[in-house]
Amino acid sequence: MGLLLLCLGIGWWLWKGVAAMEDPEFIIGPAAYYIINTAEETGAANIVAAILFDYRGIDTLGEASVIYTTVCGVAMLFSKSKYKRSSAGLSFIARRGVSFLVPFLLLYGSTIILMGHMTPGGGFQGGAVFATVTILLCIVFGSSFEMSRIKPKTKETIESLGGLFFVFLGGVGLLAGAGFLANTAAGFPRGQVGNFLSAGAIPLLNIAVGMKVGAGLSTIFYSMVRVLELEFGEQMSEVEGNDKN
Amino acid sequence: MIKISYATAIFVFCIGLYTILSKRNLFKTVIGLTIMESGALMLIVTAGYVHGGVPPLIPMEGQAVNPLPHAFTLTAIVIGASDVALALALVIKVHRRYKTVDLDKIRGLKE
Repeated sequence: MGLLLLCLGIGWWLWKGVAAMEDPEFIIGPAAYYIINTAEETGAANIVAAILFDYRGIDTLGEASVIYTTVCGVAMLFSKSKYKRSSAGLSFIARRGVSFLVPFLLLYGSTIILMGHMTPGGGFQGGAVFATVTILLCIVFGSSFEMSRIKPKTKETIESLGGLFFVFLGGVGLLAGAGFLANTAAGFPRGQVGNFLSAGAIPLLNIAVGMKVGAGLSTIFYSMVRVLELEFGEQMSEVEGNDKN
Repeated sequence: MIKISYATAIFVFCIGLYTILSKRNLFKTVIGLTIMESGALMLIVTAGYVHGGVPPLIPMEGQAVNPLPHAFTLTAIVIGASDVALALALVIKVHRRYKTVDLDKIRGLKE
């Protein structure tokens, strides 16, 4: 009861803070600069993508390394568990349905990644869609099927390649003398705003981040589900042993 | 209208806070953490709204909303997903060690 009152009190306090705010009519500060100059300087039609991959590219590199650290942490915590058995998967109807859906999901994910500089979307979102495909395969067909189709080593390689590609694109800017992760200043072609081939390095960075996020989230899910199946299998064998006794 | 959005964000945040404070189950604590995170993200996105704004995509008709909070939210979503994954991994580890995820029972076992 006291906790509920405490939470209500904090909520009331926060509400008093935002209730005093006015509806802003215009934008000031760096955001106004980004809105005015994005088309000129980067050639990207999606201003959010331009901010993420051009103006604040180093931020995004740090963000990608957070995912990498998480994958390392999860893999380290579950390193000793050996893979024993897989779940049986779901019914025939679910299997047919998912195998019908997977090509469309792959198409959707690649669209989100490749059009990230023109429409809402980008590497993070498209990578999450790719990870969803592998998670669906894992749940519906069982994790041993998923492991046999997409090897964990392959996922690790894709993730590392994505990270290296990102840093390499940053290094191109450094070589051109324009600074780390420089875009048009480093000689990447700007193109026509709204065209598919535009915005310099932003589509390439989108692809790199997409590889990284897709493979990383998929690895996290796979190592967790493997451990859970292992524990479930142990409990099942314990139950069977008790039955015999 | 914008006040309703702020109120929703604060409401969701307080639900998450109450979940974290009151539940003893570690999984429920992690769920509360994600709910709190959603509230914070709603607050950030709402803070970028401009009266009568359009999405920040070229070509724009009229005043665009602030694109900076959107970029920050993308960053925060990814980091939130990462820390939830790590927290769940640690909870699984705790469950293997103590065979329970109840905080009170874990404390009882230690003494």
